[in-house]
Amino acid sequence: MSERIAVKHTMDLAWRYASGEAMERFCADLSDRRIEALRCGGCGRRYLPPRPFCGNCRLRMTERVPVRDVGTLVAWTVVHTPILDGRTGEPRPAPYGMGLIRLDGADTTLNHYLAEADPARLRVGSRVRAVWRPALRGAMDDILHFEVLS
Amino acid sequence: MRRVAIIGTGQTRHARCRDDASQPELVREAAAAALADAELRPADIDAVLLSNMELFEGRAFPELWAGEGAFACGKPCMKVATGGTSGTSACIAAFHQVASGLFDTALVVGFEKHSEGHTQTGMALTDPFWDRAVASGALGNFALSISEYMTERGVTERQAALVAVKARTNAARNPHAHLKSPEVTVEEVLASRMLAHPVRLFDMCPQSDGACAMVVASEECARRACSRPAWVKATATRHEQPYLGDIDRRLCAMRTLRDASRAVYAAAGIIDPLAELDVAEIYEPVTYAELAWYEALGFCEDGGAGRLIEDGVTSMDGALPVNPSGGVLSTNPVGASGVIRVAEAALQIHGRGGARQVDGARLALATGYGVYAWADAVVLGAEP
Amino acid sequence: MIREGSIHIPFTYAAGRAASRFLVVLRDEGRILGSPCPACRRVLCPARSFCPRCGEETGEPVVVDPAGTVVSFTETAAGVFGLVRPDGADTAMLHRLLPAGAKWTIGARVRARLLPERTGSITDIEGFEPLEATEDHA
Repeated sequence: MSERIAVKHTMDLAWRYASGEAMERFCADLSDRRIEALRCGGCGRRYLPPRPFCGNCRLRMTERVPVRDVGTLVAWTVVHTPILDGRTGEPRPAPYGMGLIRLDGADTTLNHYLAEADPARLRVGSRVRAVWRPALRGAMDDILHFEVLS
Repeated sequence: MRRVAIIGTGQTRHARCRDDASQPELVREAAAAALADAELRPADIDAVLLSNMELFEGRAFPELWAGEGAFACGKPCMKVATGGTSGTSACIAAFHQVASGLFDTALVVGFEKHSEGHTQTGMALTDPFWDRAVASGALGNFALSISEYMTERGVTERQAALVAVKARTNAARNPHAHLKSPEVTVEEVLASRMLAHPVRLFDMCPQSDGACAMVVASEECARRACSRPAWVKATATRHEQPYLGDIDRRLCAMRTLRDASRAVYAAAGIIDPLAELDVAEIYEPVTYAELAWYEALGFCEDGGAGRLIEDGVTSMDGALPVNPSGGVLSTNPVGASGVIRVAEAALQIHGRGGARQVDGARLALATGYGVYAWADAVVLGAEP
Repeated sequence: MIREGSIHIPFTYAAGRAASRFLVVLRDEGRILGSPCPACRRVLCPARSFCPRCGEETGEPVVVDPAGTVVSFTETAAGVFGLVRPDGADTAMLHRLLPAGAKWTIGARVRARLLPERTGSITDIEGFEPLEATEDHA
């Protein structure tokens, strides 16, 4: 085939999302280092992040239950290849640890960073604790990462 | 409901970069191949269904720009979107359209050109409040679930490597496949670059440019036009909760795929899938997922997948060859990947699989997967 | 609560067989190509590899005239845009009508104005201007 022409284009994509009441309250609570889940009156599952409805039972949830900032590592990985950070559009410097954490008092798990990036020191079932940002801003990343408790 | 069959399939050459063709040209390449395989003309098609992940190419209304490549002008045409399962869902939507009596023929085309955009960005633009706070991507999410699966079921890195070797060896017999490595060894897989513990380069699917199409027909049309139709015996789709952290035990449970497969087995009268199925084309984005799917699909008991791959049960010469095409691990134009699963299963029933043909294949399973949130299952047979 | 953000995403689109040839010939020869459909006999412009209406692969591209007719137009804050059917083509292409201040009518005769330095882009055609304005140079 003869010369191939390509058209290059950079899209600047901006967004502005409304959180809804449950997430708004969750984020406001974070700035007080407080975490609450919503409990489904049907199945009893305690949802984090809190959201208005239980998808399985199709019921509105209103009961708030306290959640601690310590929990159990349900799954983990150490990322070695740069993965894009959806907030900045820039790859996050690797390696870094990530985990699914079931906070004490919740039944769903939270996807977050781990302070530990050595696979030998991570195992399913490890106890972990939130490390908070010194100046809280009312967003998910008020928790910087979780540290493994020995 | 009327009986429905797949009477023709077509694929492009899949590759890292197909900059020789525009998106409509790539779509047309697959669509024309499927029509040629079915020995039909564009005018014989009543409706068109498309599958594509538009954010990967950053182009609004792909059904508009690529539809003309699928001969859609002047016909009913729509795009079906269910994440990674979009391709299988588009096939199932076409089956329903024809089964209902609405149309006699439908053309399904799935396509993707990962080389034209930035897939990671597309994957990162998820829930803005919760998910975007953590850079996990598809790779990170797989890796997380795998640690849980390995711990619960005792699967090893070596067993996962055997899946990679099978995929790349099978792909070498598929003229359309993107990655082919007939000589690759378990040791090479285990020595490949670590992406996210324990997922190595060879464990992970590639990003491909490519398209795949199929012609779906009513019984009357199928019997007239095709000597060996691939009859649609059963279909099922399942949706799940949105957040990775909501889903109960992820790879270990895989409720969507478990439920969808049980539904199609019941509808198709399958009691022992390992014994009764002749071939399966399953959507395995990562080696460990294929092992987890063996368990979710009931090919073995929970915890038995490692043994199944070690014993070669799912190899080309095993009792149930899984992914003779080389699977998603070898070829992955996402919007097409689900269509490819169904088309490859149909190809086996048609007996046109060439070097990747499973002798005498009469009952085939195809599945779709979309980041735990969706699963599709389709059973095809040589008899209606 | 509102969460705002933005991201930059790079794209590289392959023009493909027909559009690549169209853009190369526009860049190197300053000529506009159309594609004849063997079934409906229409000449499609800009050139493309298959006829969307018939589904047939098009034949060898043909050169269409830089002069053409305004089929429709609209005036916007960003300028005047029109659908222009070049002589020798059966379809119209969307482009800028120059100058924006001119009095435009459907059926107006126009001619493509090309950039002297061209890069292989549809904007190598700056726009279409009234035919009378270009007759002295034709």
